[in-house]
Amino acid sequence: MYEKEFNTIFDIAQGKVDEIEILLASGKSFSVRIHNQNVESFSYADSNGIGIRILKDGKVGYSYTEEFSDQAFEMIIEEAIANSKFVENLEPVKFANHPAIRQELDLYSKELDEIGVEEKIELAKKLESMALAADKRIFNVPYAAYSDGYSYAKIANSKGLKKETKTNYGMAFAMVLAQEGDDKKSGSEFIISREFSKIDPRKIAEKAVKQATELLNAETPASGQYPVIIRNETMGSLLSTFSGIFSAKNVQDGKSLLKGKIGQKIASPVVTLVDDGLHPDGMSSSPFDSEGYPSQKTLLIDKGVLTNFLHSTITAAKEEGAKSTGNASRSYKNSMSVSPTNFVLEEGKSNTEDLFKAHDQVIEVVSLQGLHSGANPISGDFSLAAEGFLYKNGVKEKALANFTISGNLFQILKDIEMVGNDSVFNMQSCSSPSILVKNIAVSSK
Amino acid sequence: MISRELITRVLERALSNGGDFAELFLENSYNSSIRFYDGKTQQSIAGKDFGIGIRVFYGKSAIYAYTSDLSEKSLLEAADAVSKADRTDKIITPQQLQQRTFDNIHRVQVPGNTIGKAEKIDFMKVIDKSARGYNEKVMQVDLTMMEKKQNVLIVNSEGLYTEDERNYTRIFVVTIAGSGTEYQTCTEGPGAHAGYEFIRSLDPKDLGEKTAVVAVKMLLSDYAPSGNFPVIIDNGFGGVIFHEACGHSLEATSVAKGASVFAGKLNQQIASEKVTAVDDGTMVNKWGSTNIDDEGTPTQKTVLIDRGILKSYMIDKLGGRKMGMPSTGSGRRQSYKYAPTSRMRNTYIAPGTDKFEDMVASIDNGLYAKKMGGGSVLPGTGNFNFSVAEGYMIRDGKIAEPVRGATLIGNGAEILNKITMVADNLALAEGNCGSISGSVPTCVGQPAVKVDQIIVGGRK
Repeated sequence: MYEKEFNTIFDIAQGKVDEIEILLASGKSFSVRIHNQNVESFSYADSNGIGIRILKDGKVGYSYTEEFSDQAFEMIIEEAIANSKFVENLEPVKFANHPAIRQELDLYSKELDEIGVEEKIELAKKLESMALAADKRIFNVPYAAYSDGYSYAKIANSKGLKKETKTNYGMAFAMVLAQEGDDKKSGSEFIISREFSKIDPRKIAEKAVKQATELLNAETPASGQYPVIIRNETMGSLLSTFSGIFSAKNVQDGKSLLKGKIGQKIASPVVTLVDDGLHPDGMSSSPFDSEGYPSQKTLLIDKGVLTNFLHSTITAAKEEGAKSTGNASRSYKNSMSVSPTNFVLEEGKSNTEDLFKAHDQVIEVVSLQGLHSGANPISGDFSLAAEGFLYKNGVKEKALANFTISGNLFQILKDIEMVGNDSVFNMQSCSSPSILVKNIAVSSK
Repeated sequence: MISRELITRVLERALSNGGDFAELFLENSYNSSIRFYDGKTQQSIAGKDFGIGIRVFYGKSAIYAYTSDLSEKSLLEAADAVSKADRTDKIITPQQLQQRTFDNIHRVQVPGNTIGKAEKIDFMKVIDKSARGYNEKVMQVDLTMMEKKQNVLIVNSEGLYTEDERNYTRIFVVTIAGSGTEYQTCTEGPGAHAGYEFIRSLDPKDLGEKTAVVAVKMLLSDYAPSGNFPVIIDNGFGGVIFHEACGHSLEATSVAKGASVFAGKLNQQIASEKVTAVDDGTMVNKWGSTNIDDEGTPTQKTVLIDRGILKSYMIDKLGGRKMGMPSTGSGRRQSYKYAPTSRMRNTYIAPGTDKFEDMVASIDNGLYAKKMGGGSVLPGTGNFNFSVAEGYMIRDGKIAEPVRGATLIGNGAEILNKITMVADNLALAEGNCGSISGSVPTCVGQPAVKVDQIIVGGRK
């Protein structure tokens, strides 16, 4: 697809630049949101954009356009050249015909693409009605939504590289509000899948409702140090927040405290962490990255020992013996960076239930607020508002709210005592089971 | 870009199944940014955002479609998509288009594209040098200069045909101080709805030093205590708490669906008498100002709370239909990729009569949050969580040692009643506010306010 546009850009660039890479993204998306059984919002999108990266006199320049016309293509070549002139950072960018993809991935479902609009609206309506019916304390369902998307990506460069891929997904999401007396609590849940039949509104509604109602009339725990279980999805969110520490770009820029620690023990022996760009259930899976380099599964922490960082060909070229791990990432609007694909904390040998029995008293944290502000992605420090439950001798005693947990991610990694077997992917493509941490500072009024 | 004849046909097609309002939002934007990091110009990127959004109302629900392909075929396809989402029997025809013009009050004196990249880079070099020169503990300075010129054409079936040009200019400064295994950052991001003259009005040396002073001070400070304290939240970016924990709950988006604690409370006391709050889109060249909103409605200055009494919500067209109230010119969107919804502009707590010194003197043991960081609010409940980027203890009526790692935790509706003193030092600060219609430029602001009790989450 888009042969004509690519050829036009290559032709215009001929003789003006030394090398050029063209990245195209196009896609269609749909979403519907229901409120009081009416369609509250409904949208279709059809979008595309082309971003180019050029090399001229050893310098890199970027530009992009969402308008596909010869005039716009002329403009981006001129802009990219102008932008390259002032760049002082001479990154070892190599335009190459990178190795072939490692594995064909099944990332596109024709069945999902053919689901009719009525069926999608019906699903979102069911989601709202099921949530309202599940418990009389649910007084509002501010979000009951279904969305899906199809995306196509193509990359080619002046060294002969040419790869393309397509993928799609469907997702339903609900957020509910529960009230008892003066107390209000919210709960939310989603399912994302390429199989429409797996997007079960009942499951979503029930989980969101359970989350909200269980937390009603929560008490505040006494401040102190507690053993803490961080629930699977919440742990995934915490890990996503700090995933940047494994980026070789951050390591090289002096923005990761893991610098120089390859081969060292940085976590408890029960911790094994991988970045898996080929994971069959991962929504960030792709056969190749934004440089066209093949994706792979990369072991980052092996039983507590730091084994690797995430690389693009640019970061790899700066380190003796390093190779790209297929983690170059950019949208057509941005410059090249390094990002995780599917970030996976592997399941442990313990049953999740056993985590609750390991101590006389344990706090289970089921939601954390303020991850984008109350957590410092460089230092690892965090102080976050939490909600959860207090367990005594493995038995749930009461719901807890209005407290904060604070600590440091690097210390948490070392203090993980047990890793459960209830893995789930969060919306940021991070998969984690529930984990038990030896102790975390809990503070309240 | 497209003829009026085609526009009319697209509007007709969009209404062909009985929608009662159709609108087109055509955008052609030029964005450029330069990133200066690690003492070097890292990247310079420029590009063109281009496309059209088509919206149709069926009573109180909205259908939206967008495309960046402006061919006749693609436009009519998009119009068909929105028209087929629903069906009613009453078919209306769009009214004759009438050009509406207005005075552009946010004039540009020096268009960004007339200034060479070299001058922009030199400006950033001064910031970098000044921050690094302040103290050897400054390890990194990360600077981004962003410029955007957005041209929009807004047309609707009520006959509106209007155009606007918006110019945004901003410099974002992140200074990182570190020692051994620890880092602290300080950010400043001044910006304006203006041209390059805004950058020229700034003192780059001061920007660098100011951020370095705070980053180093926080690095060398001890952790904040935890507990319930009286807190002074200082002016400028301190207004982020009002923005997040109260402002969003005053947007039609949350009020219309009853998800806001302030729904149904017009003309009731919702805050301490000390609190007057305003959302003002008319401030000349301010970052969050507009001439017209993204639905073509002229902007206004909206008093939200007058001495504690709730006076108005922030309302867009669709929100207005649901609430039976007129638009307050608050319909905004990041780009053609988003349907507009009610959003803030420059939102601030108005100055009071208290003196900052008296506020400090009134506290025996409390926290002075000089500079706020980011935060978040749990929708529906108003429970918030904000980090303090620069904090000090207050002891015996005096500002004492700096503390780091503090978080303010509370509830928006409750906190409004706990504001007991409001100073006279109003200041605004620029930010980008993210919500369902994307990220839009907004200002937060307030004078220093004293909150009698708030939970501080610290590390001690």
